[in-house]
Amino acid sequence: MIKMTNIVKRFGAQTVLSEVSFETKYKEIFGLLGPSGAGKTTIINILTNQLSQDSGTHAIGVTPFETGLMLDEDGLYPRLSCIENLNVFADIYGMPHKKSLEVLKSVGLEDAVKKAVNTLSRGMRQRLALARAILHEPKLLFLDEPTSGLDPGTARGIHRLILSLRDKGATIFLTTHNMDEAVKLCDRVALLHKGKIVEHGGPADICMRHNAMKTVPDLEAVFINMTGTALQ
Amino acid sequence: MRTIKAIFIKQACDTLKNWMVLIQFILFPIMALIMTVLIAKPADDIPNSMFVTMFAAMYAGMTPLVTVASVIAEDKEHKSLRFLVIAGVKPQEYLLGISGFVLTVGLIVAVLFGLIGGFGGVEFVKFVLVLTLGSVASAILGATIGVISKNQQVATATVTPVFMILAFSPMFAEFNETISKMTSFLYTRQVSMLVNDFDMSLTEPVLIVLANIAVVFVLFVVAYRKKGLRI
Repeated sequence: MIKMTNIVKRFGAQTVLSEVSFETKYKEIFGLLGPSGAGKTTIINILTNQLSQDSGTHAIGVTPFETGLMLDEDGLYPRLSCIENLNVFADIYGMPHKKSLEVLKSVGLEDAVKKAVNTLSRGMRQRLALARAILHEPKLLFLDEPTSGLDPGTARGIHRLILSLRDKGATIFLTTHNMDEAVKLCDRVALLHKGKIVEHGGPADICMRHNAMKTVPDLEAVFINMTGTALQ
Repeated sequence: MRTIKAIFIKQACDTLKNWMVLIQFILFPIMALIMTVLIAKPADDIPNSMFVTMFAAMYAGMTPLVTVASVIAEDKEHKSLRFLVIAGVKPQEYLLGISGFVLTVGLIVAVLFGLIGGFGGVEFVKFVLVLTLGSVASAILGATIGVISKNQQVATATVTPVFMILAFSPMFAEFNETISKMTSFLYTRQVSMLVNDFDMSLTEPVLIVLANIAVVFVLFVVAYRKKGLRI
């Protein structure tokens, strides 16, 4: 579904993405793993046309309208209530307001429908941002560090929701520096280090490949083995 | 049209909960009402409409300018604008939604000013027309400042000296001939002159206000081409 070929991106003299190429399949969860500053968000920004690359090509196989996006910065309207925030986008997409309510229920915010965003906890804001991203039932969903900074309970709830979205037919592209999250959620992953993809494939396949060296218990160890850097 | 309506409604909901913006709209008519009732009406030598015309000119120079600039800057700062653009909202739709809301409220406030001033018939229509034209110029200038500002702090720092000149120069011009001549090309001065004297010809002041609108529109286009809506 997503195809990125030899993408190079520089900010001034610094090269943040260097010949990045990968492909995702339909209806899979594809994870981009890397530590902070590896270039994960830059890749999402390029794929969603918020940034242009210096060279290389990319395609996402769906129209921009068929994509949903959840970023670290939620971009919610702080004074508006949860339902009002979603209704803004329901109006833009030409959807009935009852859909906003349904989606709020699906992310477990049915008790906070009329609460102003600036009174919500970080976890609740994350869930509302996810609700906005899935409101129009996108075929392709970009999630940038969807559980970053959340308590384990809230993170588990978001994991369940992500898996159910995949089961309903959405393709999900997520970035994370959380190894457990990647193993739990992703059908395939790519390991990104200093703007380069150093390994990719199914999490189990990657571990098996590197287990030949008899040093690798998990993806974290693969990453450390290959780059000398911890993910978190 | 659907998108413009969505942005318009969003702005209406947000403004009703944003005291800082809401006060910009209600401050001047309330001040005009209080001054008219407490000072102008009891006094024999002060025209009933004096404070209305004074505050109306200030309002036209300040409120749409400050409101549009701060709304755009806030949406940029909170990254809300980013999600609108990704959802397919075109920049012109966003700007029309925000400015449309500000000008609609501006029209309501102009009518309110007209009622407080006790204008009737042609005077009332002229007053609302002139004030609305002034608000259009102000809103476009506000959009220009919003576009070039990274965040609300920058927008406030930029907008303050601009509205000080635009909103208060007509008042100073009443007392000083030099200031009067220097500010005669500003739309706020023309709005002030027109609402002070409905018998004067509309042609020249309206042409000057329209020229102001053209100039600020060119400024807006230049700023927009340079900065766009994403920073």
